[in-house]
Amino acid sequence: MNHTLTNQEKMMLAREKAARKPNLKRRKISQSIAFTLMWLMGFISIGALIWIVGYVLARGFPTINMEFLTTRPAGGFEGEGGISTTIVTTLYLVVLTIAIAAPLGIGAAIYFVEYANEAQNRSKFVRWLVRTARTGVEILAGVPSIIFGLFGFAVFVSFLKFKFSLLSAGLSGACMVLPVIIRTTEEALLAVPDSLREGSLGLGATKWQTITGVVLPAAIPGIVTGIVLSVGRIISETAIFWVTLGGSYRLPQNLLSSGRTLALHVYMLATETRAFDKALGTAAILIIIIMLLNLAINLSSKYFQKRLSGK
Amino acid sequence: MGCMKVRPIFILFCVIKTMDMLKNTFSTVSKKPFKVLFFIFLSTVIAVSSLITGVLAYFAVIEFPINGSTSLITGGGLCFLFLLLSRGFYTLQNWARTSFISILILILLIILVNETFKFSSAVFAGKQVLSIFEILKYLGQFLFKLILSGVIPSALLYFLYKAEEDFSETPQQRHLFDRTIKNFLLSTALSSILIVIFIFAFTLQESQLAIKDIGLEELLTGTIWRPGSIISNDIAQFGLVPMIVGSIYSTIGAILIGIPLSFGTAILLAEIAPDFLRTIFRTAIELLSGIPSVVYGLFGMVVIAPLIRQIPAEGNTTGFGILNASIILSIMILPTITNITEDAIRAVPASYREASYALGATHWQTIKDVVIPAANSGIIAAVILGISRALGETMALIMVIGNSIAIPTPVNDNPLSIIFSTARTLTGNIAVEINYAAGAHRSALFFTGVLLFLFLLIINRLANRIMKGTKKI
Repeated sequence: MNHTLTNQEKMMLAREKAARKPNLKRRKISQSIAFTLMWLMGFISIGALIWIVGYVLARGFPTINMEFLTTRPAGGFEGEGGISTTIVTTLYLVVLTIAIAAPLGIGAAIYFVEYANEAQNRSKFVRWLVRTARTGVEILAGVPSIIFGLFGFAVFVSFLKFKFSLLSAGLSGACMVLPVIIRTTEEALLAVPDSLREGSLGLGATKWQTITGVVLPAAIPGIVTGIVLSVGRIISETAIFWVTLGGSYRLPQNLLSSGRTLALHVYMLATETRAFDKALGTAAILIIIIMLLNLAINLSSKYFQKRLSGK
Repeated sequence: MGCMKVRPIFILFCVIKTMDMLKNTFSTVSKKPFKVLFFIFLSTVIAVSSLITGVLAYFAVIEFPINGSTSLITGGGLCFLFLLLSRGFYTLQNWARTSFISILILILLIILVNETFKFSSAVFAGKQVLSIFEILKYLGQFLFKLILSGVIPSALLYFLYKAEEDFSETPQQRHLFDRTIKNFLLSTALSSILIVIFIFAFTLQESQLAIKDIGLEELLTGTIWRPGSIISNDIAQFGLVPMIVGSIYSTIGAILIGIPLSFGTAILLAEIAPDFLRTIFRTAIELLSGIPSVVYGLFGMVVIAPLIRQIPAEGNTTGFGILNASIILSIMILPTITNITEDAIRAVPASYREASYALGATHWQTIKDVVIPAANSGIIAAVILGISRALGETMALIMVIGNSIAIPTPVNDNPLSIIFSTARTLTGNIAVEINYAAGAHRSALFFTGVLLFLFLLIINRLANRIMKGTKKI
């Protein structure tokens, strides 16, 4: 029945509404409920972290001993052996990837910070180029790792015939960490005060001399932070190396031989063998490495801030 | 007859001219410092010897790793390069010195890499890492070899380094050098867009075969993925729908679990929690984002799967499946969403909050009715980026989702039981099969890659656009 409301009914409704209007007490209660919920969510998030890290460390630590660290994995269904070669391979790959990505990334960041503004004003084409380059960095930062893997597989493994090798993996990994290095280096360069540049230019140094002699040394802690961040990404990456590094448990004898990183070893132990305790042990080592790297980043960024503020 | 007369005179003329030139050269050369003379001599010797080696290898007189026309080209090229260098040294050009230094550094690097590989192969490649004494022994050998093979390049490097003042550099050259550096840096800046173009071009080119042989329609709407028969393509079927459905289900699950958690955490950190707790939480979340995805996958396998197995429900058998994947994914996207949301909330000007308080609103009312609506676009961007991370995640999902290639279906018409069924994601499909795939199968996987790349590109650009819009306010 849809009949129009009489005046009296309207007034009654309005009175009811006014009565329902939250008073302070009610609002306080709803606030405390909501805040309790927020605290709960926050503690669930942190709890998940503590659970994962704690569980892996607690289950992994009993496996870790000198023998585990110094024996070669033996393959097979039981996942026998330790992780000696995977540690060395991870180290190789980190050094190789950084050696490829760092010059490119730092160079790009220097261009964006030191040259781009000045060059943009000179010609429209250069402005377009710089904008495209920046878009490229943005896009690259959002590409998922399996696509980098696919790319590396198509180009380095098949097209250039590097096969599954350190070189293919290093080149594909470098594509992944490039945006990380560019962004952090850019931030570090931007944090260097202009007065330093002006002082150097005023002494008659060329732009390049200013950059290598003054700006880069001042920005080094920031650049190192970026590199450490990339090292963390490389160590924890699996998808790219699964399709470009192969997975041989032997030690790579040169740049063109296949290998297995720590993270890849965890994956292969977990999916192809029954040796879950060994997988957990390796995972515990990975977590410890990541924690140490995080610590290093925190310390170095603190140091960087202190130095730039001139204390 | 005239020729006969001319010839001796001509030859004599030539000889005299040559003598003159040689004398001239000698006199100018002898004025130069000894170091420079040495490098002129060295570059010339290297040039001549590389040419001779190339020619000899071409005629197979000597055994050489490269032969045939490549050896001739390499020899000729090297000869030209070093003659150029020697000419550069002769005219005291700074670039000659710089290029020689770079060549020497390259040689030293190659020696270092080579010896390092040899050393670590000797120490680590065996079944067991050697004892400490043997490592020391090999270390000694390594250092000795390094010094022995590196001594000549290092000495040359040292001399060149010291000979700086012998080389001239005009202002024009300095300017030219600066411009070269600038252009070189521009090319490094362009490397990322080049990589993007290469990624797109190569994956698209590799997926040509799939588009041609299988057809877009079958790929995008086919419900059966059975790459089994590689030899005869007619039996194999390449429908991507099961994988698309798997990706969508696990992402929705991750969003449903992850968003309340991350929003709650973000609001807590930005508005409610005291500073010291915020520092602790932020550090912890940073650590959470750094943990390798395989560790999450492993955790899903050994902890979450047995827990899910205990839930008494229909269709719940192994513990691996969409539910497990959603839980793991939600923890993995938590740092991304939390960080961006928190930043967006913090970016809301304090004056908004103060105005709300002045109107008598409580803290929660302020958050709910003022702060969150103001931070809306940042929060949307956070969710989009979270979705993009969830869709791109690979290895952790392979480990927990069960990897069946059937479309997840509910048991006994109970729609809730779908969360227990196993599935496979687009990314997982690529990673599991690419290493042995061939022909149309391989191409179909690359097509999956193109699809993912384009989709994620679009939604990432969207998120970036939204975030940039908020920054302008």
